[in-house]
Amino acid sequence: MTAYSHEKSRALFERAAKVIPCGIYGHFSPAPLIPPSDYPFYAESGAGSRFVDVDGNSFIDYMCAYGPMVLGYAHKKVDAAAAKEHKKGSCLSAPAPVMVELAEYLVDLVFGMDWAFFAKNGNDVTTYAVMVARAATGRKKVVAIKGGYHGVAPWTQGLGHHGVLEEDCGHILRIAWNDFDAFASLVEKHPGQIAAFIASPYHHPVYADNQYPAPGYWQKVQKLCNQKGIVLIVDDIRCGFRLNMAGSHVFFGFEPDLVCFCKAIANGYPISALMGKGALLTDAAKVFYTGSYWFSSAPMAAALATLAELKRINGPELMLAFGEKLCKGLAETAKSHGYDLKVSGAPSMPYLRITDDPSQMLHQKWCGLCTSMGAYFTSHHNWFVSTAHNETDLTDTLKIADRAFEMLKKEKR
Amino acid sequence: MGHDRVLASLNLFAVLQNLEELVKLDPQAAALCADWNVSMSFSVLNGPAAWIEFGNGSCTVKKGWDLKADIALKFVSCRHLNLMFESKRPPIIARGITRLPFLLSKFPQLTKRLEYYLKPDEKLLETDELFRRMNTILTLNTAAFAAVELASYDPVCQHIASAIPQGTVLLKILPDGPAVTLFIKKDGWQAQKGDIENPSAKMLLKDMDIAGAFLNQKLDIFCAIASGDVAISGTVPMLDNLGLILDRIPLYLA
Ligand SMILES: Cc1ncc(COP(=O)(O)O)c(C=O)c1O
Repeated sequence: MTAYSHEKSRALFERAAKVIPCGIYGHFSPAPLIPPSDYPFYAESGAGSRFVDVDGNSFIDYMCAYGPMVLGYAHKKVDAAAAKEHKKGSCLSAPAPVMVELAEYLVDLVFGMDWAFFAKNGNDVTTYAVMVARAATGRKKVVAIKGGYHGVAPWTQGLGHHGVLEEDCGHILRIAWNDFDAFASLVEKHPGQIAAFIASPYHHPVYADNQYPAPGYWQKVQKLCNQKGIVLIVDDIRCGFRLNMAGSHVFFGFEPDLVCFCKAIANGYPISALMGKGALLTDAAKVFYTGSYWFSSAPMAAALATLAELKRINGPELMLAFGEKLCKGLAETAKSHGYDLKVSGAPSMPYLRITDDPSQMLHQKWCGLCTSMGAYFTSHHNWFVSTAHNETDLTDTLKIADRAFEMLKKEKR
Repeated sequence: MGHDRVLASLNLFAVLQNLEELVKLDPQAAALCADWNVSMSFSVLNGPAAWIEFGNGSCTVKKGWDLKADIALKFVSCRHLNLMFESKRPPIIARGITRLPFLLSKFPQLTKRLEYYLKPDEKLLETDELFRRMNTILTLNTAAFAAVELASYDPVCQHIASAIPQGTVLLKILPDGPAVTLFIKKDGWQAQKGDIENPSAKMLLKDMDIAGAFLNQKLDIFCAIASGDVAISGTVPMLDNLGLILDRIPLYLA
């Protein structure tokens, strides 16, 4: 195993830095990939569980495009469905019938939801969800979780972030995850003023262990929301269809009013969805919300094909099982070298951290080393597995991890 | 906290402390105060206070009161102090009136020299390497000490600081300094000039020029990290949040 080199990636980046803010911006920025020199910056192609960068290096991909890839890259059924629709004309002057088909399919699939609204990105639908909740309740305040991520619209960002006004986040009240009492006291402090509670099904912050809901947490939150007329929004953008095909609220046993989906919904084709209970349908209809490409039919066809395939093979179960084996294997490998690798979150999108160094520098080095030998691991974010990850990937990954721990140990000496 | 209160803290604890380095590193400043043997205090009524001591060719700046300072300068308000820093209003000389000539002519020469580096002429910054180096060193120190004050007094920074994990952050210019260390604790932050072993997070700036660009808000930091001009590691949320705080310095010390 020799470390990969990245000449073409770097040359492209040099050009990018002159004409694009950040060179590569947002969640694809190489800044949190530590050290960046261990990571590819530009991808050339992908197939199954792997992608190849512009320098010809191949990676077993444990980021899955940060979630959208769920059945494997270049998936034949999904790509064929999208191509067929695209050929007919994906962006015409009226929506295609597939839009209705997809909405009906989702309403059948996702538990407790009666309608679906489509957009492009996760942020589109979390923002729409908040607008719908405000429209429905006539209230301003929204309770969210500290460290919870719902996109990039000003309301989702914290005070002090560039371009964000105090007024933008003035009505967003942040509390710690799993702290029901904090929610209850906010409800008491702001009677009749809280429009919505928004959170992901479990807490998956960056740079920190992920946390499942404490027993009874969601049920208590739901009960209080129902009592006080607060709209319960689940941001299922990251977990959606990686825990349960009927929605992650089924996995955790509660009933939200609105659910946001994006990432895994169409295996990489651009589409997101807000789903809601019937009681909110007319309020949703009153909020004017749209976008140039939100009616593109090819991604809708891709979503139909993806969801049908995930359902057919029971995708969430496959990913949970593979993730379980992966995490167990990695933790054992770590242990054999004297390191403690802590796993948190769902096995289908686990967050791993070497606990021996609280600064995370050791973990960053290990993830960088693994990536430079072909197992694409990030140190700051939860990983993702797909249904395309297989036994060969597992064996190769564990070999790479083993070698990386060995190198880590040598470096320490 | 109002703008003047924050700015007063920055002037006293982030700007003034640069006199220490200035006297050490700038021959002209060193020559000016080579034979000074005097201490001065700056205090705002019901507000912040600092004192400076010159002796044996060196300068020490400290937070707080020195009741025995040779010269005691008082200010009725933070605004009064800030206006003095802009040379728009004189201080009240509560003690040391006999040192008036020192106050009126000698000391201002030194602060002028500080201003020369801290409010740099763009042309000089571009063309003069030594000048750029001094500007960078002083701006690095200013940034670290300013972060401490902003985290305490600027409302937006207080909010940002409330989410920063505790620990130590090292900002260092490669290959071997200068460096500053920030100690981030729930009950207050501290800045210290110099390196530290095993910080919780570190930001290593490739050289003086990269550091200068970073500190003068002229660097696309994301690009710089990706290209290796700036290396970060450790508890990155500390750096992310600290970055947001440093970005607010120009709102006060433009
Ligand atoms: C939980 C969650 N919500 C919202 C978003 C925002 O989605 P998008 O980047 O597609 O706008 C993300 C993206 O990572 C996410 O993970």
